[in-house]
Amino acid sequence: MTDPLIRLRGVNKYYGDYHALRDVDLDIAAGEFFSLLGPSGCGKTTLLRTIAGFEGVSGGSVAIGGRDMTRVPPNKRPTNMVFQSYAIFPHLSVAQNVGFGLRKRSDLNDDARRAMVADALDMVGLEGYGGRAATALSGGQRQRVALARALVLQPKVLLLDEPLSALDRKMREQMQEELIRLQRHIGITFILVTHDQEEALVMSDRIAVMFDGAIAQLAEAEDLYRRPVDQRVAQFIGVMNFLPAAVAADSVDAPGLGRIPLDAVGVRARANDAPTIGFRPEAVTLLFPGQDAPDRVTDATVAEVVYYGDMTYYDVCLDGTDAKLRVSMRNVYGREVMEIGQRTRLAWSPGAMVLFT
Amino acid sequence: MLRAYVWLFLAFLYAPILLLPVFAFNDGTVIAFPLDGFTTRWFGRLTTNTELHAALGNSVVVAASSAVLAVLLGLAAARAQVRYRWPGKAGMMGLIMLPLVLPEIIVAVSLLVVAVQVFGLRLSLLTLVAAHTLICVPFAVAILNASFAALDPSLEEAAIDLGETRASTFRLVTLPLVMPGIVAALLISFTISLDEFIIAFFLTGSDVTLPVYIWSLLRFPRELPVIMALGTILVILSIGILTLAEWNRRRGLKRAGMDDKGGFL
Amino acid sequence: MNQETTRGLTLIAPPFGYAFALLALPLVAVLVLSFWSQDYLTIDRGFTVANYVEAVSDPIYRTLMGRSLLIAGAVTLVTVVLAFPVAYYVSFRVAPRHKSLWLFLITIPFWTSYLLRIFLWKVMLGFNGVINSALTGIGLIDEPLTFILYNANAVVITLSHAFAPFAILPIFVALEKIDRSLLEASRDLGETAFTTFFRVTLPLAAPGVVAALLIVFIPTVGDYVTPAQVGGPGGLMIANMIQTQFLALNNAPMGATLAILAMLCVTVVALAVVWLSRRLAGGGAR
Repeated sequence: MTDPLIRLRGVNKYYGDYHALRDVDLDIAAGEFFSLLGPSGCGKTTLLRTIAGFEGVSGGSVAIGGRDMTRVPPNKRPTNMVFQSYAIFPHLSVAQNVGFGLRKRSDLNDDARRAMVADALDMVGLEGYGGRAATALSGGQRQRVALARALVLQPKVLLLDEPLSALDRKMREQMQEELIRLQRHIGITFILVTHDQEEALVMSDRIAVMFDGAIAQLAEAEDLYRRPVDQRVAQFIGVMNFLPAAVAADSVDAPGLGRIPLDAVGVRARANDAPTIGFRPEAVTLLFPGQDAPDRVTDATVAEVVYYGDMTYYDVCLDGTDAKLRVSMRNVYGREVMEIGQRTRLAWSPGAMVLFT
Repeated sequence: MLRAYVWLFLAFLYAPILLLPVFAFNDGTVIAFPLDGFTTRWFGRLTTNTELHAALGNSVVVAASSAVLAVLLGLAAARAQVRYRWPGKAGMMGLIMLPLVLPEIIVAVSLLVVAVQVFGLRLSLLTLVAAHTLICVPFAVAILNASFAALDPSLEEAAIDLGETRASTFRLVTLPLVMPGIVAALLISFTISLDEFIIAFFLTGSDVTLPVYIWSLLRFPRELPVIMALGTILVILSIGILTLAEWNRRRGLKRAGMDDKGGFL
Repeated sequence: MNQETTRGLTLIAPPFGYAFALLALPLVAVLVLSFWSQDYLTIDRGFTVANYVEAVSDPIYRTLMGRSLLIAGAVTLVTVVLAFPVAYYVSFRVAPRHKSLWLFLITIPFWTSYLLRIFLWKVMLGFNGVINSALTGIGLIDEPLTFILYNANAVVITLSHAFAPFAILPIFVALEKIDRSLLEASRDLGETAFTTFFRVTLPLAAPGVVAALLIVFIPTVGDYVTPAQVGGPGGLMIANMIQTQFLALNNAPMGATLAILAMLCVTVVALAVVWLSRRLAGGGAR
């Protein structure tokens, strides 16, 4: 990485005795779409507000664009924020909201300000809405006004605090795509805080997963999904099946799966406590009658069927164990969905397994 | 049945008030039925009564000063209450709100003791303003608390994020949004002070306020119809002020894009 | 000390300083004064509990204090009982957009001059007053009723009127907070409208009722205008005596003693009400 746009070093934050951020080191490049992902209370919003300048740090440093910003107040930082509640000023019109930050720009005359506001509204697809009362907008429109208001100031970094959490599912998916397009178009750094792993995977170049005030893993989306560093990350991102594992010198034993040579296991990661073996629902497959598999096959019984239209989730019990394992199968036209109680075979390969030790 | 009861209750509430105009226009000095005919002379006598004018002037000055002071102090207290935490907060807020649950006579007596016995001050309108400010602050805090609590803190953060200072944020964002609360607090403090009698009776010196003057008139029945005329005007004024407050509150709600959920108290 | 604490303290300093100087210190001064004594115009600063001994032993003071608490209690009960159905009606029966109009209607009489309202009750209740004139006029009674003016009844009626909005508003606020689906849930679980009221509505409205009780009781104990105007000799209350001690008899220490005792009584009753309501609420939760 060339010189990062944002560089955090040893950032710590205490609220009284509560340790909200623990030794956070983080570099974010210019033009990156970066996400802070984690469960509520993990410190991701605190970290974002530390970058914005709303939270002072108890220790460590924050630099933006090569300048130390640790003690610089939010109004003097080249960052702008889209708030979770959008924070649209209810006593101002849409145009007045978008132009709010231009007031201090003495190099601009009123015409220039108006033109910039109009451009910003165009950019977010709200052309002609300038005269409306801010309170008369829908949730999605408020979101766009908040975006335009931040972007009109041409910040180096746009900070987004759970911006989509208040929208319904359809609107959220649409805004996700628009945000990606917008970020590619203007090319500035976006830092997104979200608790929705799917949203982070869809939108980001890189993702930092946070637990208990510290970054547990920082990786690109695919890496994060396929190669979690520990069991907590694996559990938080997507779904993973876990089986207790007995690790020997050069092999590992798991109930139902049998003996697997250690060097055949796909990914090694840290366990929470006891050694565990895990795999994703789509990393294995169920064999329909007449099908055969190139690798290992284990007999099993279907215990639960959850039908999603394009997909079906099966919970299966491997013979000789009680553990239910989730397997996702794409539905194929002309093939019946399996039934509860049906005998089936689980086809898997050691390379799809993640071993937590 | 409930409906009938409620209307009966409203009749109970309004019965004495409705008598005001009846006797204000009654051409007789005895306040009782049957009526003696129509007259407007009691209103005429209001305009020539200089004592009344002085008392009314005093009351307005006291009420306006107390309202402004109470709202300024209330703004600081409500803002601190809603936004910040500090050691001893509950105790401090408790003392500020205490006049709300203290019999007025206690407030009157304690201030009288301090003013006269401890400091040897001469009672004046100033001592009364000080006392009325004290009892109006809790009302102002209660109203402004609601205004500040309804204010999304991220609105102020957004303004700072967009380049404003703390001071300009207060002017551009906070103040316009809590303005309806400020106006309501001013009006209610003004009205409370204007009508307050118990403390005023203890703390006014030679300059009396309107309630104290009315009190002195109650002993001279011949002036009673004049009080009725005055009362009629006061009722109409009160309704006017209240209508203004309610209109202002609704405008504030509309502006903040909130649903109308009821009265301002 | 962090920045938030500093800002909070800076903001609270003026209003707290004001309340401290004009309320806390004066109350302490009253307390000190109550342990002094006065002989004509000279105050003896020697510590004495004589005032308290006299206040407790002299039947006049005991009677006045007892009557104040009794009348205030009666006023409080009457007011809250009368107010509850009104608050209930406005909260549950009135259309939402008309609610503020109703509150407006209820508060108007409250904002009209307190002294005038008391005087008008005198006109209503008097020997030749509105009620007596009306009742004799329609032939319901031959002689004017005398038990409604210049006694404790008149004080209760007048004060109930004066404090009605104070009782209605907190109860209304508590009722408004009740999630209406709770009432539907209760009906769904087999309760009638009547039992739902007692098992769901009333317990949830309890905080408002307690607030109403206190908000009426506390100022009522200290009222001296109403008793002086409509109470007659049998309706005088402790505040009248406090006022007399300070302004007419020039015995400020005795007045201070009575004020302290009145405040103690009010505090004890208020704490008892809060404690009782907590216990009742706690019992309901278990």
